[in-house]
Amino acid sequence: MSITPVHYIAVPLAAAFLIPILSKFHKETARIIPGLVFSYFLVISFVLMRQVSNTGIISETIAGWRAPWGINLVFGYFSGFFATLMSVIGFLTWLYSYRFKLVDSKPAMSYYILLMMLVTGSIGIVITGDIFNMFVFLEIVAISAFSLTSFYPGRDGAEAAFKYLLIASFSSFLILLAVLLLYTQTGTLNIAELSTKVHLIPQSLKLTILVMFVVGLGIESELFPLNGWAPDAYSQAPAPVGAVFAGVVVKGGIYATMRVMFTMFDINEMGQILLILGLITTIIAEVAAIKQTQVKRMLAYSSIGQMGVVMMAIGIGTEDAVFAALFMMFNHAIIKGLLFFSTGFLLHNSLTKTIAEMKGVAKKFPVLSFMFALGSFAIVGLPPFSGFWSKLYFLMAAADAKLFSMIALVLAVSIVEIVYYFRVVGVMYYHQPDESLPTKQPGLNAYFVMGFLAALIIGVGVYPDLITNFLHAAAYELTHKTEYVQTVLTQFVR
Amino acid sequence: MCSFDYQTIMSISIYGSSVVLMLLGLYAVLVKKNLIKIVIGLSIVDSGLHLLFVAVGYLHNGTAPIFSPEAVDKVNQMVDPVPQALVLTAIVIGFATTAVALSLVIRLYKHHKTARIDQIKSLKW
Amino acid sequence: MNTLALILLILFSGAIVAFLSEKVSKFLPSLIAFISITAAGILFYTSPADVFNFKLSMAGLNFTLKIDEFSRLFVHMIIGLSWLASMYAVGYMQNKERQGTFFFNMLLSIGGMLGIVAARDLVSFFVFWEIMTWSSFLIVVWTGADFRRTGIWYMVFSAMGAYAMLMAIMMIYSDIHTFNIDEIIAAIAEQRLPHLVEASVLLLFGFSVKAALMPLHVWAPNAYTQAPAAYTAIFSGVLSKMGIFGMALVLLSMLKFANPADFSLVYINGFIGQILAWLGAITAAIATLYALIQTDAKKLLAYSSVAQLGYITIGIAIGTPLSVMASLFLAVLHALFKGTLFLAMGAVERQAGTTDMTKISGLIRRMPWTFFVTLVSIISLAGVPPLAGFVGKWMLYEALITNGNVFMVVVVFFSSTAAFLYSYRILFGIFLGQEEDDTAHVKEAPLSMILPMVVMALLLIALGTYPGLLFDPIAQGMTVLGFENVTWQMTVLSNVWGNTVNLMYISTTIGVAFVAALLFLTLKGRKGSRNVGTKDISTSGEIPLEHENLTYQLDFFKPFERAASPLYRRKMTKIYDDLSNGLDALFDFTRKIYTGNGQTYALYVVIFLVALLIYVQNTL
Repeated sequence: MSITPVHYIAVPLAAAFLIPILSKFHKETARIIPGLVFSYFLVISFVLMRQVSNTGIISETIAGWRAPWGINLVFGYFSGFFATLMSVIGFLTWLYSYRFKLVDSKPAMSYYILLMMLVTGSIGIVITGDIFNMFVFLEIVAISAFSLTSFYPGRDGAEAAFKYLLIASFSSFLILLAVLLLYTQTGTLNIAELSTKVHLIPQSLKLTILVMFVVGLGIESELFPLNGWAPDAYSQAPAPVGAVFAGVVVKGGIYATMRVMFTMFDINEMGQILLILGLITTIIAEVAAIKQTQVKRMLAYSSIGQMGVVMMAIGIGTEDAVFAALFMMFNHAIIKGLLFFSTGFLLHNSLTKTIAEMKGVAKKFPVLSFMFALGSFAIVGLPPFSGFWSKLYFLMAAADAKLFSMIALVLAVSIVEIVYYFRVVGVMYYHQPDESLPTKQPGLNAYFVMGFLAALIIGVGVYPDLITNFLHAAAYELTHKTEYVQTVLTQFVR
Repeated sequence: MCSFDYQTIMSISIYGSSVVLMLLGLYAVLVKKNLIKIVIGLSIVDSGLHLLFVAVGYLHNGTAPIFSPEAVDKVNQMVDPVPQALVLTAIVIGFATTAVALSLVIRLYKHHKTARIDQIKSLKW
Repeated sequence: MNTLALILLILFSGAIVAFLSEKVSKFLPSLIAFISITAAGILFYTSPADVFNFKLSMAGLNFTLKIDEFSRLFVHMIIGLSWLASMYAVGYMQNKERQGTFFFNMLLSIGGMLGIVAARDLVSFFVFWEIMTWSSFLIVVWTGADFRRTGIWYMVFSAMGAYAMLMAIMMIYSDIHTFNIDEIIAAIAEQRLPHLVEASVLLLFGFSVKAALMPLHVWAPNAYTQAPAAYTAIFSGVLSKMGIFGMALVLLSMLKFANPADFSLVYINGFIGQILAWLGAITAAIATLYALIQTDAKKLLAYSSVAQLGYITIGIAIGTPLSVMASLFLAVLHALFKGTLFLAMGAVERQAGTTDMTKISGLIRRMPWTFFVTLVSIISLAGVPPLAGFVGKWMLYEALITNGNVFMVVVVFFSSTAAFLYSYRILFGIFLGQEEDDTAHVKEAPLSMILPMVVMALLLIALGTYPGLLFDPIAQGMTVLGFENVTWQMTVLSNVWGNTVNLMYISTTIGVAFVAALLFLTLKGRKGSRNVGTKDISTSGEIPLEHENLTYQLDFFKPFERAASPLYRRKMTKIYDDLSNGLDALFDFTRKIYTGNGQTYALYVVIFLVALLIYVQNTL
């Protein structure tokens, strides 16, 4: 049996059904099976990426209905980049939280199943070639995300989850409405076929559909007036889930935005608006982040800010800008992952997770604190860490588009970013510890995960060519959509 | 003066009621303070959307989209099956969302001893 | 393997090894740092000049590193001072905690500086610049005494400077799509750079931060004071010179080859250069005033460094051959004497526990070698013959006068004179005066700390007699900048009005006089005089009590301070404090957008949707 993209979805769904049954016989299966699934994701990603580099974009039909009629899955460099990134982050999160809730298996089981569904749904968004199918996967992600946000009953998780649900419902309404309007106008739901037919839609209706997509997907990708849920959700979810939110869930939203804006429509129609929205998002988020007293909330605002910059790069819309956006997303996934993972243990037993509680933790947890500091240095874009390169490429793309005032604002906001990250590092290293809570030392698995991410940050920082070729291919594929469209539409014609 | 035939009136009323439903639901979501009412509002918006889906695929005097030997010549009268397939999926998703929302409301009520959304603001700024 | 890359690799990998080796032994990091710098130095001085050339293509960018004659001057400074400071640091850091972090960052910043002076494209310049910045930041906060004020301010100002540079780099990139400095120079010559003025101003802004020029200097005194002395020598001695190097790169290297008819060039060289020079002069004057009222020797030296960097900036900004020469000469000298002084103060701090001049005094007998090197470098700092500081000032005055900047001469002369006051204070406050009981236990620093200071002091004496030793490499470096045929002589200074000063005679005379006086006093002392302690002053009529402190470090310049008090009233730091408080309030106000009410967020979504729909339908 050869590996095809559908394994990304079929295997975890089957596993999700099996886990409750099997865990009746053996408790450990609830933890082990998701791990096997995530490992299998890595295998699929690796094999498919090899295949893509040999033969080009892979298009797979489901249930024998060929492409524009049936649902198809498309796996090229662009989708592959996201799918691989999500698989890696998913696997690392599983490994990191392997000892999570060891004592009683009931919550652990739901945690692992939901985590698996979260990653599966996000990968589904990325590899599907059908716009309605994308909506379904967005909803799978959303529902798993609500449940994970409210995972801890003792905290304000339910409040955060409810806000998330309320806002995400608007997202789903708008996307559904947009899909419906698209269908009435073009009679198809296939993204590739849509991209050949959108010019038939009357201009004002097309703009309405676009606005619905911008707002609907903007909620998922945390654009400014639509992101009220994000800081709450990040801060209330368990720390490893925060890493998944930053590394997987948001990426799904951004992917959908890019797919819709670049492949289905033309980016120039909405580019300016995305650019300005991204800028406002960045400014407001970074400004709010500096006043936070909770670490995870601060990280959440920082995530929003980073996504704003990514959105600006998407709004610029050139191939270089897309490359910069992808690079930034890669960096954001690994660096925020590292930050959330290290915070998870640094504030393990604290309920409030305030910055003040991190006083002097460096004495007790030198390695964890080092990881956090490394992440801070990387995320504010200091060389020789990977964050620097993506920032540089973004600025180059913006300079090409002559957006100097935007560059100036983004750089000014970066100073704010430096202040709040370094303040936390200062608290960790240069304050005397009070009588602190009994905290938990991370296990070998967590150290491995953080060590891997740190090595990746430094490795890419010193030698960015580790991934740039790959990202260039992905950016090329997205900005030149003919190959995508032809592969999908002609696969059965010959 | 123009006169409406049955079909036009029908479609106007269906489309109109779906829009009315959506606006009603939106009103509930944006104005009502009770969490349960907000969840109900979300469901109403959902229903309006589903109705719109069905209305799009609707064809007056249409037949089921099944290619049986008897129906081969009625291809033009077949209703569009895709919106119906979509609406089924959407209903399931809406159901799941509502279920999660209600369970969250129960949790919130237990935790905060209130179901008013403007009093549940422990996470802010 | 390429030699230049190898040098950088030695330093950077040495940094990592030093960091990790702390686990093995506390002593090891300092040793590894010393060995790496020694190895880098040996490699540099044993290789022929033409091998320092390194090209790398990575990530779609071309990185070019090359050491030319001009950068070579700075490399001498960096390697020389770092080598001596790292030798010193072995003893200085003994028994301290977290040495691994210290030496890691020290090696990293040295590598960063070498990278900066070698960079021939703006991206690698920026990369090394940032590495240098954050590693020096980590050393500034290393003691952890005042993270918020000192550390964050240093990082914020550095980031402002760095991002101004980045902005300028991006402007240049958008015009000509290259980062290579040689190509940029070519583009300037062909007037293909519409953003030249903006980019130059932004670059100069960025470099002014590192050079601690006036409105941007507020980070410097604290940062210099907080960093451990072994590093402050490097920090003030060469790291701040990177700002000067950058200014030279922009004002002299990039713009000198350009078409003189281009209006923007005239503008930059004339108007902006003049402003920069004035800023330098004002910095020199005001920082000198602040240096006067410090009671902590390290902080005094920190302000003095800011002032000295002001002079150096003037020379670069004026841009005549003589002024550039004066400025580079002063830069090297400043690295030497300020390096020595900070090391000496580090020795005092290590041996006596503090550098507060009101608490210690009379250390001359306890720490004679430290006194000797301080004396030499103070004389050099004050610009008194026979030491080399005099030569530098002489050239600077002459350059300013011939250039027509007479008012600037007045300002510079004022601050140079005031420098006497604080140099005297540091010498007197710590080493002379009455010996107190609580400093009686103080011993001289170990040899490994004395040796580097003495080497630098001897260098200062040698340069005072033979300034030509330094003129040679400077003149060679200046040919790279386009100043051909700068003449110099080994021991004779001459000016445009035909006056000459032979430094050989001066130093010989002073040397002979010194020896004669020494002999006279020693011989005279043989007969009938007795040794008295510093407290044995009863012969002057009134007998002071034992506990009475008669040293005049207390209220040393009280009358002067009273006279100059209006000048001290306005503080730049207050403006920045107000600014940051205002921003803080604004930020606090802004984040209230996130009210915490889910319904409000939903309302935002709806309003935003409607607004966007209306906007889109009406405009697109």
